[in-house]
Amino acid sequence: MKRGFIPLLGLVLLIGVSALARATDGFQAVTSDGARQLSVARHPRSIPDVRLIDQNGHSFSLADYRGKTLLVDFIYTRCPTLCGVLGNDFHRVLAAMPNKQLDLLSVSFDPANDDHEALKLYGDRFGATAPRWRIAVAADRRGLDALLRTFGVVVIPDGIGGFVHDGFIYVVDQHGRFANIIEPNASAQMIEAAMRPAKP
Amino acid sequence: MRRIARYKLLLAACVAWACLWLPPLRSMLESDMTLHMTVQLPLLTAIGVMLAMVLRPHEPCWFADADWLGIPGVLLAIFTTSLWMLPRMLDLALGNVSIDLLKFASLPLLAGLPLGLSWPRVPALGRAFLWANLISMLATMGGLYLGAPQRLCAYYRLDQQSAAGTALVAIAIVLGLAWFIVLFIGAPSPAKPRSADKSRINERFGWGASHTFPRS
Amino acid sequence: MTTQAIGTSRGGIDAGIAVRAYLAVTGIVLLLMMLFGFTMRLAQAQWINIEPNTFYMILTMHGSGMVGITGLSGAAVMWYFVRRHVPVSTGVFVANLVFFLVGALLILGSGFIGGFAGAWTFLYPLPEHSGGLWSANAAAFYMLGLLVIGVGFLLLHLDVLRGIISVYGGLGAGLGAKQAFGLAPEKDGPPPAVAAATMASISNIVGIVIGAVVLVLMLVTLYVPSFTFNTLLAKNLIYYFGHTFINVTIYMAVIAVYEILPMHTHRAWKTNRAFYLAWVLSTLMVLTVYPHHLLMDFAMPTWMLIAGQIISWVSGLPVLLVTAFGALTNVYRSGIKWSVAAGLVFIGVAGWAIGVIPAIADGTVIVNSVMHNTQWVPGHFHTYLLLGMVAMMLGFMAYIGGGRAPSRLGPAGLWTFLIGGAIFVLAFLAGGAASVPRRYAVHLPGWLPYDRVGVIGAGLVVIGTSLLVTRFFLALRSPMSGDGIR
Ligand code: HEM
Ligand SMILES: [Cu+2]
Repeated sequence: MKRGFIPLLGLVLLIGVSALARATDGFQAVTSDGARQLSVARHPRSIPDVRLIDQNGHSFSLADYRGKTLLVDFIYTRCPTLCGVLGNDFHRVLAAMPNKQLDLLSVSFDPANDDHEALKLYGDRFGATAPRWRIAVAADRRGLDALLRTFGVVVIPDGIGGFVHDGFIYVVDQHGRFANIIEPNASAQMIEAAMRPAKP
Repeated sequence: MRRIARYKLLLAACVAWACLWLPPLRSMLESDMTLHMTVQLPLLTAIGVMLAMVLRPHEPCWFADADWLGIPGVLLAIFTTSLWMLPRMLDLALGNVSIDLLKFASLPLLAGLPLGLSWPRVPALGRAFLWANLISMLATMGGLYLGAPQRLCAYYRLDQQSAAGTALVAIAIVLGLAWFIVLFIGAPSPAKPRSADKSRINERFGWGASHTFPRS
Repeated sequence: MTTQAIGTSRGGIDAGIAVRAYLAVTGIVLLLMMLFGFTMRLAQAQWINIEPNTFYMILTMHGSGMVGITGLSGAAVMWYFVRRHVPVSTGVFVANLVFFLVGALLILGSGFIGGFAGAWTFLYPLPEHSGGLWSANAAAFYMLGLLVIGVGFLLLHLDVLRGIISVYGGLGAGLGAKQAFGLAPEKDGPPPAVAAATMASISNIVGIVIGAVVLVLMLVTLYVPSFTFNTLLAKNLIYYFGHTFINVTIYMAVIAVYEILPMHTHRAWKTNRAFYLAWVLSTLMVLTVYPHHLLMDFAMPTWMLIAGQIISWVSGLPVLLVTAFGALTNVYRSGIKWSVAAGLVFIGVAGWAIGVIPAIADGTVIVNSVMHNTQWVPGHFHTYLLLGMVAMMLGFMAYIGGGRAPSRLGPAGLWTFLIGGAIFVLAFLAGGAASVPRRYAVHLPGWLPYDRVGVIGAGLVVIGTSLLVTRFFLALRSPMSGDGIR
């Protein structure tokens, strides 16, 4: 063994392990989804006050939802698959908790195709009525980007004209903070549990 | 290596580095998971190995001394490469140019360069062990990507993910076969191994005279 | 340099002591695992009462422990003889023993503390779905233990191959590939120990690399349940790893036959073209046929699974044939003076040959549908492992440490082992023919006669083995025993 070996080895181990630990949030997340879940649970994120337009052409702002719990999902109306599932999930949530202080919001990330006609058709498929359940697009591109960034949503082309995206439901609490994430196919109990207010 | 040849190699490494960074090539290689993992990342590491070949004469003494059996250098390379194999890091690199830049800097400088400098110091057994581990880790990564029912990278589709998995497994198999074939053919026998020569062979390896039959 | 210097010329560790340490560990673990087996047999015979859960835990420990210890002792045989021809590192050899002991501790902990009972084949996803019998951590300890043991063996086999390449130039030359295909004179071929060590090391390295893949995959899925992978593929990978490892124990132990018999007959082992061809063919089969069958298995039809099993046995067939034939011609009319060591290795060849016959019977499709998953299966593998591999290994043990031991211990041990072993495996085979299922903790009344005969055989095996192991330990007191190195 040569001089300086142990210090150098120690240095490499220190750097290597701490870099891996940072990249995995303390060896807990290897995917972006996992990392987001951890980060949101630890530090709920305040959401930007974005202006949106709903299926009836009415303009509203995210700040309007203060004081209520809001469930958000991200969709595009031409979607042949996941967005139908998400629509059904929201429909189920409404049916299961009709009286709750709870609003729903489906945001389209495809403003080029989703005019308010298309939004309305999508909403009608699942019995959505504003303002309880709005199907909306952001008023401008910057607003949409800000939303996608805050919620950590990534949408990529699927190569056949549509999009690949996730099927999560995002929970915004009464204080207007993005506070939880609901896995696809969650049961009603799991959804209720996820909406319980966290520590302020 | 002669001086001129060294400069040529350095130039080649820098040109390759720049080309990989420039948008047409970068966005092409990063648009597909297989290309990203099996072409871009290895090429970046290879650039570091080229740098090591150029810089070897200038390697600082303290590093050559402290890098016993090449262990610290190889370990650093292992850490760096495993970091960039994490799906989350791939995502971050795609979503954020400064992280991509970090990738472009760290893979050559913290993986390829130390690997290239340390490799000659690694004993033969250690090299073989590293090869075997590389093969098995590539196949394992491939297996994970092939088997995962969901997307692991937000920026890549499920079909790209399983294509990447297949590619990783295929690379592992090809590397394994190639290794085997090279070792199987080997070099022409260094000594005609005949039982009469045994003691000579043992002497050559400092193993003393061959063992005599025991009284049984 | 003198003989003395050989042992200490590298790393300061004495090779003779290292080999003895391997054999001492082997003696103790082997007896312990045999007692586990004996306990299972007693329980099946309903002469003692143990909980089914405990039975399956013991079954898991017996299977893993036996496979591990035969691997370890096989490595000792291979290393001891191959180092007469090529330079190998004593440090790596000792490191393998250390890795083995650490891994064995992890595995024992997973069983006796964590209650892991997913069988030595740890078929995915069973380790993850214990129904509350054991925790994810217990399963992880078990798999980590296997990984640690695998690292040790990987290093050892790589070092052996490195040594072989340094002398012979390449693995082909180490196997005698040119001699096999008539491209070089037979007399220039490698000694049998080198050919066998080359084949064994290549196979085990491939097996271990594949085993590491499936173990790491399973560890990941254990803790990150959102990852899954194809169960059929997992099964094939695990079986590839397991079959290879257990078969390789025989290819390593058989070196004892090649080296010990000639010492008694004073005739060199005939290394003719057929001999080399057999080892080359077996290597190629292990390398190509089975993995090839893995690659296309995403929805594998049953016949392919069965074909895979046959291949895994048949791949050893050429080697078995040349070895059995070689042993007979070596002994025939040689005026051999039998010793315990020579007797045991000879029994080993016979046990191996006889054990493979029911294996092939089991492999054929029609027999398989009747016999598979009966005690026919433990019947055949105990024949070629206990009466084959273990007999060869005990022969090696007798050879290393027999010189000064009391003279009657050896023959008594040999005969008790042989007779007990025969009764024990015949009881399994007879039970299998009568459709007694394998891996049952609780047996029906109609099966008890087979079990009880089995108990008697097993008891004799334990006694015989104890005598042979005792003989070895007694000989340890006098360090310069008959083998010539220390
Ligand atoms: C005294 C000697 C031995 C006894 C009494 C014994 C007994 C047993 C018994 C009762 C079983 C369970 C059979 C069943 O499925 O119903 C078994 C399984 C097994 N034995 Fe042995 N055995 C002995 C030696 C060996 C040896 C030398 C090996 C060498 C590798 C070995 C390897 C195995 C394996 C791999 C299994 C299968 C475990 C499983 O099904 O998961 N045994 N043995
Ligand atoms: Cu969709």
